[in-house]
Amino acid sequence: MSLVYLKLFIADVLPYIAGAIFIVGTINRVINWAKSPVPLKIPTTCGQQKSLPFIRRTWEDRLDSPYTMWETIGRMIVEVFLFRSLFRNTRYWLDKQKGVDTRWLWLFALLFHYSMLIILLRHLRFFANPVPGFLSIINALDGQPAYVPALYITGILALVALFWLWARRILCSRERNISYPADHLILALVAGILITGNLMRYFFKVDLYAVKEVALGIVSFHPASAAVVNQIGWIFFVHLSLVCITVAYLPFSKVMHFAGVFFSPTRNMPNDNRAHVHINPWNPPYHGITWQEYYEMYKDQLDEIAENGYKVKPEV
Amino acid sequence: MVEIEKNGDYVKVEQKFTSWRDLLKPVTEKDFKPGFYHYPILKRDAEQLGIPYRDWDPLEPDWKLPEGWKETFLNKFKELLEKNRQFKLFMDICVRCGACADKCHYYIGTGDPKNMPVARAELLRSIYRRYFTKVGKIFGEWAGARELTEDVIKELYYYLYQCSLCRRCSAFCPYGIDTADIVWRGREMLQSIGTVQRFSYISIAACARTGNHLGLLPGGVAGALQSVAEDVYDITGVEIEVPINKKGADILFVAPSADYFATPHWYVCMGYLMLFHELEERYGFSYTWSTYASEGGNFGTFASYELAQKLSHKIYEEAERLGVKWILGGECGHMWRDKHQFMATMNPPPKTLEDPVSPITGTYFENAAEAKIVHIAEFVADLIEHKKINLDKSRNDHWKVTFHDSCNPARGMGLYEEPRYVIKNVCNYFYEMPEHSIREKTYCCGSGGGLLADEVMELRMRGGMPRAMALKHVHKRYGVNYLCTICAIDKAAFPTLFEFWKLPVEVGGMMELVGNALIMSDEEQERELDLRGNPLKKSEE
Repeated sequence: MSLVYLKLFIADVLPYIAGAIFIVGTINRVINWAKSPVPLKIPTTCGQQKSLPFIRRTWEDRLDSPYTMWETIGRMIVEVFLFRSLFRNTRYWLDKQKGVDTRWLWLFALLFHYSMLIILLRHLRFFANPVPGFLSIINALDGQPAYVPALYITGILALVALFWLWARRILCSRERNISYPADHLILALVAGILITGNLMRYFFKVDLYAVKEVALGIVSFHPASAAVVNQIGWIFFVHLSLVCITVAYLPFSKVMHFAGVFFSPTRNMPNDNRAHVHINPWNPPYHGITWQEYYEMYKDQLDEIAENGYKVKPEV
Repeated sequence: MVEIEKNGDYVKVEQKFTSWRDLLKPVTEKDFKPGFYHYPILKRDAEQLGIPYRDWDPLEPDWKLPEGWKETFLNKFKELLEKNRQFKLFMDICVRCGACADKCHYYIGTGDPKNMPVARAELLRSIYRRYFTKVGKIFGEWAGARELTEDVIKELYYYLYQCSLCRRCSAFCPYGIDTADIVWRGREMLQSIGTVQRFSYISIAACARTGNHLGLLPGGVAGALQSVAEDVYDITGVEIEVPINKKGADILFVAPSADYFATPHWYVCMGYLMLFHELEERYGFSYTWSTYASEGGNFGTFASYELAQKLSHKIYEEAERLGVKWILGGECGHMWRDKHQFMATMNPPPKTLEDPVSPITGTYFENAAEAKIVHIAEFVADLIEHKKINLDKSRNDHWKVTFHDSCNPARGMGLYEEPRYVIKNVCNYFYEMPEHSIREKTYCCGSGGGLLADEVMELRMRGGMPRAMALKHVHKRYGVNYLCTICAIDKAAFPTLFEFWKLPVEVGGMMELVGNALIMSDEEQERELDLRGNPLKKSEE
């Protein structure tokens, strides 16, 4: 009997707790960053600056070394949506003493993030009634109808990409070096979510109508009843608990990079430093010698230069 | 372990791999290797700059940290977090993907895992987590946090001065985490407890006192420029008058002090004087050098915001005093990180300056509209494009030239095409080094960011390995015998580096090549020697 209470807690209470922690935590983090000023304009310029009219700038230069606001927005878009900097990645072969383009990390990182995005979007159909048209399109495109039930490609791809990224942390000695328990923890949590999700869909099927009722109950603040909750198989509760734990953990983890990347001054500032001077709100006053003090210190020598008419001539 | 060949000899690079626990375990004086650690700051420099001083030795177990050092350090940490959004952000958002790891030339050359940019940042992040995040306070080591102990300070001192602030890692980081910024803050914290290196502070103190890193007094600057003019006379037979501290000139010219002191910078300085003289003769160009603002570079940018401001302030003050219209800057690396990204923010430009318009071509340097400082490569490229100077490319025919993008003009400014445009117009033989070693992927010389000290020679030679190997490639393939660079530290570091790696390649600057090719209107005889005194190749032979 007590199992019902556990199920009710996971379905009706835990999502609110996790959601609240996530929202408050994320806002806190973002406000904390925004509170500190940016003293200097420090874009990392990976392309030709704008200077003279005959110095050519390609579209790549404009994105890697933006001069205008729109070019900067463009840089952020390619950074956030296409992982521009990871695409640049090379690997240094010490034995040959040369760098070689290596885009595996870029590829699998991109696969992982986009699969996760599509999976999240697919889940929206549980929270909306009726289901909006674009979600059905995503479902139709993602589902591979040769199988029944339709096999979602992203569900598999996300798992494959995740294990590739994890294997990298375990098998490559350099990455093993820099992987903290926290790095493995977040991978384990997401792997747990993906595995239980896939199991639920293909092997331990649950009552989707009841699941939808729970989901709609959460967003409409009408928690599902014990009867509804009892219709759903145990694996759903494992899946949902893992999701809640992960969501609540996000603001305290490195996953905050999703918000942080928008704040990064080496990417979100234009390379127009000399054309538009950046103002540092806490710029301290100058402490140091003035010309007058300098003149007093080296009067003889400076007067000699003046006596010679402010110029030196070669002795020939 | 990999052995890297250098002309029959070998240098071993042993890559060590440890665990995350070892990453948090501090490296202390017991493990400091000769050739990798810096000597501590000198008393006179510390006293002049107001940095707490004590007599200590990095190899002794007791570093004699000042009373209350832990509190001082953490207070500074907190202050810097509150003042710098980028620093706070970079402490928070790293995912340790490892994209930066083998981008660092020091990691490549030493194989020391703590030289990976991510590990270098973790030195500070681990302290940040312990004292400024809840997760770190509760879970300690398991959350990648560690206590701040005297040993940690030793490790910070050892590794924060094994970074040349080149920002190569920042180009590859998916979040643009800038290790140079992190290291800068870390050094600022170390400065608060007086645990800083000797080398750059000697120059900072000298520059704060005399106006240049070398500590040359006004007479010394004038004398040096006179010697440069004499060398120009020996080669060209032209007597050049060099204006100094001249009020009412149109342009203030600022170059790194090494240009009129060291070799091969010297030839670059000859190039400046020849070009400006030619422009004066033909177009009435008016400019001046200054003894008060006799330094373009800024070693303060290796130390702290306040010291950087202290050194760059003089340039605008002098420009205002002399009544010039705008400022022209010479060939230097970190100088241009400072002049492009820092100077005008740290010191508001005086209102007396005018729009930076070339007096010869009438070109308005729109990209320097507010800061009023133009790079010599921009200025010369514009002259060449408008055909305002006569050049004889064949005078550089004895050089097979490659161009080394210096870190800061590359990744801190985006100056890629202007110097190439100039070089291609003054040389017939120009070859690019491999793609992974130029432009935004350029490797540091291994000696920048305050690391040009003799005591860290092994670190410098190892850190310069990727650049040396890229050069070796074009040396073997095309017979490249001249590496052109627009950075004063490069020019000082590369000759030693290439000697170590046994590469018979000369090092020089863009303005030396321009000086060689420049046909001066008042030059009476055919030139027979290049600026170094080498005989010129005769074209008919």
